Amino acid sequence: MHFTSVHQLKVMGLSIGTVGLLSFSGLAVAQTSPANSNQMSLAATCANCHGTNGVGVPNAGMPQINHLSPDAMLTQLKAFKSGARTGTIMHQLAKGYSDEQLQTIANVLGKK
Amino acid sequence: MDRRHFLGVSSVASLGVLAGCASPPVNISKANVVVVGGGYGGATAAKYVRMFSNNTAQVTLIEPNTEFISCPMSNLVVGGHTTIANISTPYDNLTKRHGIKVVKDMVASIDAKQKTIRLASGGSMKYDKLILSPGTGLMTETIKGLDKANQEGVTVQAWKAGPETVLLRKQLESIKDGGVYAISIPIAPYRCPPGPYERACQVAGYFKQFKPKSKVLILDANDDVVSKGGLFKKAWASMYAGMIEYRPKHNVVEVDSKTKTLKFDVQNDVKADVLNVLPLMRAGDIAVRTGIANSNARWVNVNYINFESTAAKDIHVLGDSIQIAPLMPKSGHMANSHAKVAAAAIVAELGGFEVNQNPVLTNTCYSFVSADEVVHVASVHQYDAKDKTFKTVPGSGGLSAEASKLEGVYAWGWARNIWADSLG
Repeated sequence: MHFTSVHQLKVMGLSIGTVGLLSFSGLAVAQTSPANSNQMSLAATCANCHGTNGVGVPNAGMPQINHLSPDAMLTQLKAFKSGARTGTIMHQLAKGYSDEQLQTIANVLGKK
Repeated sequence: MDRRHFLGVSSVASLGVLAGCASPPVNISKANVVVVGGGYGGATAAKYVRMFSNNTAQVTLIEPNTEFISCPMSNLVVGGHTTIANISTPYDNLTKRHGIKVVKDMVASIDAKQKTIRLASGGSMKYDKLILSPGTGLMTETIKGLDKANQEGVTVQAWKAGPETVLLRKQLESIKDGGVYAISIPIAPYRCPPGPYERACQVAGYFKQFKPKSKVLILDANDDVVSKGGLFKKAWASMYAGMIEYRPKHNVVEVDSKTKTLKFDVQNDVKADVLNVLPLMRAGDIAVRTGIANSNARWVNVNYINFESTAAKDIHVLGDSIQIAPLMPKSGHMANSHAKVAAAAIVAELGGFEVNQNPVLTNTCYSFVSADEVVHVASVHQYDAKDKTFKTVPGSGGLSAEASKLEGVYAWGWARNIWADSLG
């Protein structure tokens, strides 16, 4: 699943301030509301290796992630976390996040 | 470093610290955020304050250099596998894509009470939030004769990538086959824990190909290899047998530039043809001069929830200059991670929102043990509200199983992506 509307964000139990509602235009754009900026900053922990907002430098050598849907991304992240998928480094990093955090990351960075 | 500026903790009390006393929110579009230092911490913070504020906060970045030169990957310049140009990124995109005003200057002084900085070129600037990311300062005064030896070109640090990196490479090229390169490592913490050991691999790789009778001496003040120890020792034994000698518990106290000799606490003197002497490190000079280096007068204590200095309100400090949380390395990746947490917190504070109480940091660090074979260490750090610090998550993170060319590809991918994430 991914956030396509304010309603879905509310379903997720996230509060959105007035400012966020006024400027809300999808999570690809940074938001000045606590819920959104918390999600954006969590997802930004991926950007060091996979690019700002999950858009990596083309042909840089690092696997691209921005073609994945939120569902597909979450499936991969959980597979790394459980050990079902091995890797050089991602299986070690995925274990550092809660399932809820992985879901948020997939929702923010997955292809809309 | 000028010792006159070395302020004690008592002076810190005068900087107007009111822990827990939040400022009233300002109109974020009128907020002035000034960032000092355009490295992995500062450049990232400037960009992400803009992004997280929907491009509304006014952000100024003060940086003396026209281009960012990456310390990560710079040991490949020492090894002869890349150039400074290949690891440099201009600051233009911060202005063109993100509307950040980049000022080519340095900060002469900070008035934390008036929330004003004075620039080296003259003039001053007011801030609502100041972000300091000044890297590390080298405590050259802690090794007798080091300043003189540096001035005479007998010793080199090359611990900030740039002209010194090229100088070190030239020194290696100029020695005869059979010469000795010595690198000394200070007691941790210092910038880039695996960096000296990676550099030893790179120098040995050069010697192996071009000067096979030459040797690399690692003189480490620590009890053992500080980072990736098993992986480095394996590389030294398998790839550079007989070329690299590792000597732990070797603390350099003096350099004799006439005879190119290092002297230690206890052990015998060491002579070498190229002397790469790394002294103890501390927070960047501007942090020390401002009197906010309140951890052993070396590092800046910060509140990890927003990276605000515990000594000065509205001054947020990132990267190598801070007193680290447990198992938090002083690395470029970590500085970039600090920057995002701080940027989100600063935007929240300026906008009158609650600051995120569950920030997360990551670190990944790749080291080249040859031209194209790489090992990594990685960690994830979650904020612990009870202990008010970051803690690594049990069972997460770790090391490479072995050196590989695949990780060599990922290391370059990491570099290109983090440069774009910080400056693009």
